[in-house]
Amino acid sequence: MSEILPWITLVVCASAALARLPSAVRGVNPTLFLIFLLATAAGILSIEQFYMAIDGALGGINIAHVLLRLIVFATIYLIAVRVTKGFGAPDAHRMISGRPGLAMLAIFTAALVTVFLLMEPAASSVRFREAGAVSARNEALLPYYWAAARGYLAYVSLALLPALLRSVRESLPPLVRTGAALMAAGAVATVAGLCLEFAPLQLLVVAPAVNNGAVVFYTSGLVLVWMARVKAANRGGHGTSSTGR
Amino acid sequence: MPLPAKAFQRWLHGVAPDASVADVARASGVKRTTLAQQLVRGKVAEATVVAISRAFNMNPVAALGSFEPYWDLGKPPIPPTLQELVSQIATADLLHAIIARTEPDAGTGNGTGTDKGTAPPGLGPPPHATSVKNWVDAIDDGELRHRVSAATGVAPQNYSAQLTANRLAPELAVATSRAAGVGLASGLVAAGLVTEAEAGWPPDARQAALDGMTDGELTALAGERLQALGKALRRQEHDQRQTETIWENLG
Repeated sequence: MSEILPWITLVVCASAALARLPSAVRGVNPTLFLIFLLATAAGILSIEQFYMAIDGALGGINIAHVLLRLIVFATIYLIAVRVTKGFGAPDAHRMISGRPGLAMLAIFTAALVTVFLLMEPAASSVRFREAGAVSARNEALLPYYWAAARGYLAYVSLALLPALLRSVRESLPPLVRTGAALMAAGAVATVAGLCLEFAPLQLLVVAPAVNNGAVVFYTSGLVLVWMARVKAANRGGHGTSSTGR
Repeated sequence: MPLPAKAFQRWLHGVAPDASVADVARASGVKRTTLAQQLVRGKVAEATVVAISRAFNMNPVAALGSFEPYWDLGKPPIPPTLQELVSQIATADLLHAIIARTEPDAGTGNGTGTDKGTAPPGLGPPPHATSVKNWVDAIDDGELRHRVSAATGVAPQNYSAQLTANRLAPELAVATSRAAGVGLASGLVAAGLVTEAEAGWPPDARQAALDGMTDGELTALAGERLQALGKALRRQEHDQRQTETIWENLG
């Protein structure tokens, strides 16, 4: 079961990227394409076969995993910047791309890389799962690695959540509100993903579903908001719904 | 609440004993599929009865009155109040009237279109863009919304939402009239279901009500209307801007 989840996530992200390609070529919000592209790259690195091949090319000591985590940082950062701008949340925007936000990004990135460097090199294993077995030091450090990896995502998600929930209640096109609701679900799942790192072992079985769910929710939320614009544009007047009625 | 199909069939049999569903649809302009669907579901819309009664030269208000939920529509109509009449004049027509009254040579009587081109054009027929809300405001004693809500079981916020959207279900329109003690068909006029003539309003009643207003009353009313309109437009523009920002960043 948990083997198929990353594939589903990859298909969702790759389809979104592919569908967004024409708009990117026309120069319409290329960031959105970049977001889907980065999510696709992260999806690829989450699948065992691809991971082993790519990490092998990078030396076979799980550098690909650090790369994956940094790609995920970049993806959520870009999503958050777009969402806070689009949904008009200047406070949340500052918390993400203002001085405090960038400081958080720097701290978590530095922590992630430092913890990784402190660990003894371990042979390639997807999701970094065998790194703890190498030595006692690695086993002790691994929770810190994951805390850094998921901590930034949770921070950004928490900053986004109020703006997303507010947008769900506002008088916006239904598809936009549904999209905001899906992204809010993604934010909740992301925070839950961090909590699960510290949860008792029995709960760990749901972790893959929660973490993949977060990606799928965020991605499909973005796609829905985009669809809302396509729908509005089809009704005439480039996304400007008529004020006459 | 739409009308039960059984009662509708009985009524239709009385109106057009030999007509088939297709005949009725053709004569009334109601789509045949719509009519068939309403019959299958057992719920016929009031608008269907109105369209059919017009096609067979019956008064739609009287026709609705032959159904149990609307039995009191069959009683002799109560004439509309002045406030109700004025509420069914479009804001633009009110403004035209103000302009016509302030024209330098408008002093000679209430111009009925005889002198020059300065007289206002005839009033547009109801409903206008804010007919429903203006009508309810015109007959509201402050407690009306609560009484309607209590009588119909419709939540106040849903009732308000209809007023804001300039919609009013026929059942609610009549319930509002009952609760306010005004003519029962007035709400149907404001909701656009029947015409003012069909509701038994005298032909020039609205114009007469308008002419009877003093300059002060007219100007104050137009001012209220403009203020409400301005508020609605600003909200619309705000929503519009917000949507644009979303498209710019996420579309």
